[in-house]
Amino acid sequence: MWTTMAKGSAAVEAAVKQFLPPCQVQCPINEDIQRTNVLISMLPDDPEMAANGIIQIGDYLYNRNPFFTVCGYVCGLCELECNYQSKGGAIKRRLLKRFIADSYTYHLDKKDEFDLIKHKENVAVVGGGPGGLMAAYDLSKRGYRVTIFEASDRLGGALWLIPRYRLPEKVLTSALDNLTRLTGVDVRFNSPVGNGRLTLDKLRNEGYSAVFMAKGTPTPRTLTFGGEDVKGQDLSGVMYGHTFLYEVSHGNIRPNYFRGKKVVVIGGGNVAFDAARTARRLGGETTIVCLECEDKKSKDGIPADFEEIRGAWEEGIRIIYSRGVSTIHGEGERVRKIECPKCTSVFDATGFNPQFDVSDRIPLDAEVLIVTVGQGPDRMALHQDNLLDERGRLAIDPLTLQSLNREWVFIGGDLRRIGFMVDAMRDGLVAAESIERYLRGLDIKEGRKRDYEPQDIPLRRHYMTEPEVLWIPPEKRMHFQLFERGFSLAEAIEEAKRCLTCGPCVSCKACVSIGIQDALSAVEVNPDRCSGCGICTSICYYGAAQSRQDEDKRRSVTDMFKCKSCGMCVVACPSGARKLVGDPMHARIEDVYANLSATIGG
Amino acid sequence: MEYNPNIVCFSCKFGWGYVGDKQSGNGSPENWVPVVCSGKVESTHILEAFKAGADGVLILACQEGHCHYQDGNFQTGKKVYLLQKVLETFGIEHERVRMEMARNPEGDKIVQLVKDMKQDISKLGPVRRF
Repeated sequence: MWTTMAKGSAAVEAAVKQFLPPCQVQCPINEDIQRTNVLISMLPDDPEMAANGIIQIGDYLYNRNPFFTVCGYVCGLCELECNYQSKGGAIKRRLLKRFIADSYTYHLDKKDEFDLIKHKENVAVVGGGPGGLMAAYDLSKRGYRVTIFEASDRLGGALWLIPRYRLPEKVLTSALDNLTRLTGVDVRFNSPVGNGRLTLDKLRNEGYSAVFMAKGTPTPRTLTFGGEDVKGQDLSGVMYGHTFLYEVSHGNIRPNYFRGKKVVVIGGGNVAFDAARTARRLGGETTIVCLECEDKKSKDGIPADFEEIRGAWEEGIRIIYSRGVSTIHGEGERVRKIECPKCTSVFDATGFNPQFDVSDRIPLDAEVLIVTVGQGPDRMALHQDNLLDERGRLAIDPLTLQSLNREWVFIGGDLRRIGFMVDAMRDGLVAAESIERYLRGLDIKEGRKRDYEPQDIPLRRHYMTEPEVLWIPPEKRMHFQLFERGFSLAEAIEEAKRCLTCGPCVSCKACVSIGIQDALSAVEVNPDRCSGCGICTSICYYGAAQSRQDEDKRRSVTDMFKCKSCGMCVVACPSGARKLVGDPMHARIEDVYANLSATIGG
Repeated sequence: MEYNPNIVCFSCKFGWGYVGDKQSGNGSPENWVPVVCSGKVESTHILEAFKAGADGVLILACQEGHCHYQDGNFQTGKKVYLLQKVLETFGIEHERVRMEMARNPEGDKIVQLVKDMKQDISKLGPVRRF
C-alpha cells in the first residue's frame, strides 16, 4: 500500500493569487478537494488493503478540517461550483468525503492525542459551535492554551439542529468529543459569557490575552407582517423552528408527537425544511408556507436546497409558495387557523421587503405552527459588551474579524453573519490566524486577502454522467435513521476517477505525495525551434499551451499556472521545441535501451 | 539456444502498480519503463526500442475514459494504430506493438502480460533486420 506524505515537496503550495479548481474556490476553507479525490481514485480494490489508505486520506483531511466527517454528511457546497455540472453532473464530493468519514468516525476514537506543546498565551473561545471549535483546534495546534466557554451543557452549537436522518448522532459526537480530546482543549459548560456572571472584561482579568466570540444566534426571529409582529404567537401550539429542532435533538419529543395533527411550517430556508421533515417524521400532516416562489433562479426564489425540496415533496409535505401569514386565529388558548395572503414580491432594492396582495388570501388549518423565519444574536449582550457601533451593528474588520472597539476580541460564526457550518469554521480559522498575529505583534492584515481564480473545465472526448444516489423510498423513510446510502469502495473509486482534476498541480500534488512522481516537472519551450504552428494549443486539454504573437514571429508559450506537465504538447510538437524539465522518463528510457543493446550485443 | 524475445514495457503510473511494494522490486519485469501517462510515449520511443533490439513493445494504459490527464491513453491508442501500419510496411509485424487499456493497482498483472506477449512474439521469431 502507498504511504501518502504531506510534508516537504508533497505539501500543497498556497499563494496569495492563484488558480484553484472551482470546488476549492467555493469551499470557504479551501479544502484540498482535488488531492483527496485523486487519492481516493487510487485506492486499491481490496477493501483490507484500502482501509489503510482511507485512514491516511482521513488523517490528511482531519489535519486541516476536524469536522470533515460531519461535512461529509451535511455540506457539499463545493458541488455547486464543480466544472462537471454542465457535462453530466457535479462530482459527488460530499459522498466521497462521507465514504472516508464512514471509516474515520470510528478511527477517531482510537486516534492518539496530538503531541502539542502549549507554551503560548491563554485564549478564551466563547461558544462551542463549529466556529469556536475550529478556532480552538487551530489555536491549540499553534501552541495556545484554549478554554471554551459554552453556554449549554454540550458542544456543537447549531450542529445539533441538523436532524438525525441527515447526520447520525455518532458522527457528530465522535467529531466533537475527539476534537477536544486530541487537542486537550479545556471546556467549561454552562458558562454563558455576556449578560451573566461572566463578562468579556472578567475573562480579560482572568488572564485570557485574546477572546474569540462565536456564540451564534440563539434568538428566533418572530413572524412579522407589514413591519409588525403577527399577533397570536404566544398561543399554545406555536413554536419556533430552532427551539423545536433543539428539543427533538435532545430527545425531549416523543415519537408520533404530532400524529394526526395539522402542522404548518413557515419559512423557505433549509432550517424550515429540516423542521417540516422532522415534524412529518413525528406523524404530522405537514405543510410549508413560504414567501418565496418555486423558481429558484428568480430573485424571489426559494432559498432551500433542491434536494431538501425534493425530499420534502417525496415525503408528502405540501409546499405553498408565495404566501405570507397575516393573521393567526386561536381557539381558546390554542392555535387553530392562519390566513395567508399572496406575496407579490420578496426582495427589492432595499433588500428583504415583502409586498402582499391582501385581497388574495387563503385560510389554512393549523394545529401546530412552527415559525422558522430566521434567527438573530442576543443584541443586548453585544451592546453591553461594547461590541456594536453607533448604528447598532457589529463593529469588526471583516478581513481579520477583529473588533474595532476592543482589539483583543475577535468575532465570527453565525453571530457575525448567518451562514453554513463551514462559513463558521472559516471564521474560526481566520480568527485563529488573527489572534496569532495580534499576540505575536505581527501585521494583522498583511497578505491576508487571497485572490483565487477558478480553473476552466479541461477538454476531453467523453464526459461521464453522475452516479445515481440512492435514497430509501419515502414510505420507508419516516424515521430518524439515515435515508441516503453512501458509496461502497468500488463506487467511491469510480466516482473519484470521474473527477476532472481541473486544478493546477501545485495545489494538489497527490502524485508526489504517494511517490508516483518525485517532483512536478515543467514544460519549457525553445523559442528558436518553435515555428508557431499552434499544434500544441490544439492538443492541450487545459488551455496552458498558448500561442502568442511576438514582434517578429508567432510562437508558443506555456501558462505554468494551468500546465499539468502531462507532456501531450511535447509529444505533439513536430519541431521538438517543447520539453519537460525535471522529467525522469527519458533517462529511464535511455537506461533501459542501453541495457537492452548491451544484452543483445553480449 | 531458445529464442527469448525482449519486450519493452511502458506502463501508466496512474493505472498500473501504484500500490505495489516498491522496495522488494519483486516481479517487476525487465525493460520496464513506468511513465506518468501513457500519452507521453512518443512514436520515436517505440522505434528506438526496436532499434535497441527489442522484439516487441507493450504499452499499458488506463481504462478508456479514465486518463488522469483527460485523453492521454486515447492519444496513444491512435498513435499505436498508425504506427502499426507504418511498421508493417517495414516488415515489422503489427503484433509487435501491443496496447492494453485496463487498471491494475497492485501491478501483479504486468509481469503476466509481458510473459503472454513474449509467448506470442516467440511464434513470430526475431525482428527481421535489413
